[in-house]
Amino acid sequence: MADRITTDLMDDIKTRISNLVTEYTRGLKGCYYTDLRLEIDEGQGAVAENGDSRECYEDTNLSFGVRVIAGKGIRAPGYFGQVIGMSDTGRIEKIVREGIDHAYRRAYSNAAGKLRAKETMGRLGESLCDTTLAPIEVHQDKVSAVFDLDPREVPLKDIIEITKEISKEISSYDRDVRFNQVMASTMMIRELFLSSEGTDIDQSYALTQGLLYVVAQNEEGSQELYDYIGDQRGWEVITKGINAYEKTLRDFSLDLTGDALDLIKAELLKSTDKEVVIVTDPHYNALIAHEIIGHPMELDRGLKYETAYAGRSWLLSGLDNHHIGKQIASDLVTAYSDPSLPGYGHYKYDDEGTPARRVTHIDKGIFKEFMNSRQTAAILGVEPNGSFKATDASFVPLIRMSNTVFAAGDTDTSDIISEVDDGYYLKGHRTPSISESRENFRISAVKVYRIRNGELGQLFRNGGMTSDSKDYLMNVDAVGNDFKMYPIPNCGKGQPMQTKRLGNGAPTMRSRARLTGE
Amino acid sequence: MVSIDELRKGVRQGLGFIKGAGDILGAEIVASSNANLLTRLNYTSHIPCNGVEEPKSTESYGVGVQAIFKTTDGIKTGFGSEPGDLSLNGIRKALDKARRNMVYDPAFRSLPHPSTEKPLLREYHDQRLMDIKDEELVTLGWRVLEGAIGVFNDTGVSEKIIIGGDLTLIQERIAVASTTGIDAYDESSLIMVSVTSMIEGENTKGSGWTTGICMDNFCPEDAGAESARNALATRGGQRIDDSEYNVILGSQPVTDLMNNIIIPSLNLSMIDAYSSAFLGRMRKKVAAENLTIFDSGALPGASGSKSITCEGLPTGRTDLIEKGMVVGFLTDHYYSLKILADEEAKRKLGVDPNDYKEAFAPRNGFRFETGGGRSYSRRVSISPTNVIVDTTDEFTTEDLLQKVGNGIYIGRIWYTYPMNGLGPGDFTSTIIGDSYLIKNGKLSTPIQPNTIRINDNINNLLMNITGITRDKRPTLIWAADEVVYAPEMAIKGVKLSNIAVQEG
Repeated sequence: MADRITTDLMDDIKTRISNLVTEYTRGLKGCYYTDLRLEIDEGQGAVAENGDSRECYEDTNLSFGVRVIAGKGIRAPGYFGQVIGMSDTGRIEKIVREGIDHAYRRAYSNAAGKLRAKETMGRLGESLCDTTLAPIEVHQDKVSAVFDLDPREVPLKDIIEITKEISKEISSYDRDVRFNQVMASTMMIRELFLSSEGTDIDQSYALTQGLLYVVAQNEEGSQELYDYIGDQRGWEVITKGINAYEKTLRDFSLDLTGDALDLIKAELLKSTDKEVVIVTDPHYNALIAHEIIGHPMELDRGLKYETAYAGRSWLLSGLDNHHIGKQIASDLVTAYSDPSLPGYGHYKYDDEGTPARRVTHIDKGIFKEFMNSRQTAAILGVEPNGSFKATDASFVPLIRMSNTVFAAGDTDTSDIISEVDDGYYLKGHRTPSISESRENFRISAVKVYRIRNGELGQLFRNGGMTSDSKDYLMNVDAVGNDFKMYPIPNCGKGQPMQTKRLGNGAPTMRSRARLTGE
Repeated sequence: MVSIDELRKGVRQGLGFIKGAGDILGAEIVASSNANLLTRLNYTSHIPCNGVEEPKSTESYGVGVQAIFKTTDGIKTGFGSEPGDLSLNGIRKALDKARRNMVYDPAFRSLPHPSTEKPLLREYHDQRLMDIKDEELVTLGWRVLEGAIGVFNDTGVSEKIIIGGDLTLIQERIAVASTTGIDAYDESSLIMVSVTSMIEGENTKGSGWTTGICMDNFCPEDAGAESARNALATRGGQRIDDSEYNVILGSQPVTDLMNNIIIPSLNLSMIDAYSSAFLGRMRKKVAAENLTIFDSGALPGASGSKSITCEGLPTGRTDLIEKGMVVGFLTDHYYSLKILADEEAKRKLGVDPNDYKEAFAPRNGFRFETGGGRSYSRRVSISPTNVIVDTTDEFTTEDLLQKVGNGIYIGRIWYTYPMNGLGPGDFTSTIIGDSYLIKNGKLSTPIQPNTIRINDNINNLLMNITGITRDKRPTLIWAADEVVYAPEMAIKGVKLSNIAVQEG
């Protein structure tokens, strides 16, 4: 028996626990459905600060999560999740069975509570209903990871060395660089999904990420910038520039440091009371795609699950009051989520075994489709589209973006700028603040340039834009042909909050909004 | 959950084992066991729903080792952990990982030493909360919903009602032992409810919440009922024009600003990284004189209290802002020593830290999991506990309303972020509920949720505080570690913008 957890352990674990999901749960009274997710991660990484190593790690993680739908008279869900260690693998059947028992007791008790509430809450009890999962085709499949340089075979000392050397180089770049932190990590993840319906999905993927956080400061001003490179690939992301930026972590970090130093000399942008013409680059638009396309297109928000946390969606008030089929953007705008694209949001099956497919959100300005789960699809009366994902197997999945993007248009980027007599060019996203149902946003940019007579001019710092979402989308009058996809590593949702990696992309676009700044 | 005795036995045995290893100059061993139990709520009167949507839990236990190694390249430190195993085998695996993970960090000075202070809290957890059964967890969730629905039923409102939120129970046990002589343990429990009720057709929204550390007298239905009453009270909401307004911030907005901007700026690791709204401003006035802020981890009965930090040191009071002046920072042991030896410290703080050593006492080194729990697998970082927003003022809410005269009462904000890093202090946020116009010193017409954005700078807000209530309410916000004991706060000249004009 192995002495440490590795992704190879999954085969043995699977043979020992798969009958729990099918046969054992059949013996539980009123148990209608069970699924089990099990995940093994093998990862390593390092952090350097101001030219010195700060920390590194080489570790593994094994976790599982259970969902049971059960009840008498009415059905309800119950869940359980746990992180376990190598010493637990010898008795994993017992641990998983106890987890199923917890989830079952919660589901059964929840159903009893629902039935009681339905009987005592009068008219307000009428909407309490059976928990139903929309049907899916049952699959058995195995999906292999894609990488050139296996994350498990990268020597940890190489990761330590690369972060330290880059950090050292940044520290000596300029005396106004006050602080820098460089991180690099690479990991292999293997996920197993088993359901009482017979689904059996075994998916593996590699994941590699680099981060720079840099602060430049002098008497003129200061700038704090951070950004990531990453992809669901191996160590080549860091050392060979196989990523959205087509840069190694070193080159990416030095460029971002240069931006910070340029910006401390730039003037502060002034806010405007009125809308101005704004051209936005693909990196900035990736965050627009995330915040005002992706999030409001998550059906759990539409169905109010996130009212107390990450917010609702302005696109759906009720089942008979929504914007499906209506124009919500200029006819130049098409947007979709596509897990089949490479990037942080790539996967073949979601966390309830639904085959993933492209979900077209906006087709030439018309709102078409939400991302959904089996439960929310059943409520809306549509087919599941494979968008239910958890950050870790011990957590309950949420409806999540995959690779959510604005589609490319057919205009040359240079034309989008040269057609502007007076406007602004926002380059690189920074921080978003979005209103509760995603109907308004303010997003800051790394750099803002004045556009005069079709040419880029003065550089400004600490600026951004704000607009009502629909106004902004309806005012789009140019979409470029320079589509790019970026990694977004830190999307927060749910309770407890789950931080998820996903992809967002876009081309250059032009619209109108108010500038934000001083 | 693993018992505290087993955790203590694990770290003590582990220490004995590690002391025998030839290349180890020192070590800190932490063992913990945590459970986060939660019933998530989603009730919608106009959409089929489950009511209690997710009764669930996540659990883990294990051991972590931070060790100092003597190597041919000098002294190095490393951290490793092993889940699910408190035996010597688990310790050995964690130590092996720490050895593989060691690096030379010139800023590392030492492991924490035992404090001369003693922990103030003992046996303060609630056994009922530690032993809760699956069925009780589910029932507690239904009680929250019943509280809200009871209010709606009493008033006859039945159209487009939303009730969302959760009841969360956190069970935490931790033991720490080190070669420097630390031998400490802690056991804590926390229960909290956060609920939002809406009448969606009328665009009204109300919040309710409660926190506690024991089951006796804990009434989850009260939070549900409060949220429903507040939703009903904000019917008929109006918009306002873009302008600067005199405002009163309720407990939730004060907490949101504390959590996202002010407390991160008072974290010594952020000062170290040149990222704070208070960079270079220690011993300088950053707020009106009526504002005092301190962190108090050992407050008896308070929701965020712990007996010890995750470094095994006693918790206690750390003064942060006193009568408007920055006087201290939240820190762990690592940063408390790093700042004293930092050649750039005066630039970062504005003063020589060696003149104010007491301002950098390591009372806030924790290993918090997202959503609660003290993790054996995380390195120590700096976290607040109970943040007390205090004042010399003796105002009541009514006094503040009179003082403002005409303005805006802001009861709940959301998505509060520093837009250009913490340093410049620029921030934005949207007002999403529980808010009213103030007319002639009284609460007047409700304000429509999601129609106002705050665009301002934290430095302006802090300097323009005109009054703070004496009473405070323990308040939690989404994904926060700390509980803020938040008063209401009057502030002049806050910049508000009218948004989402074209609805839907």
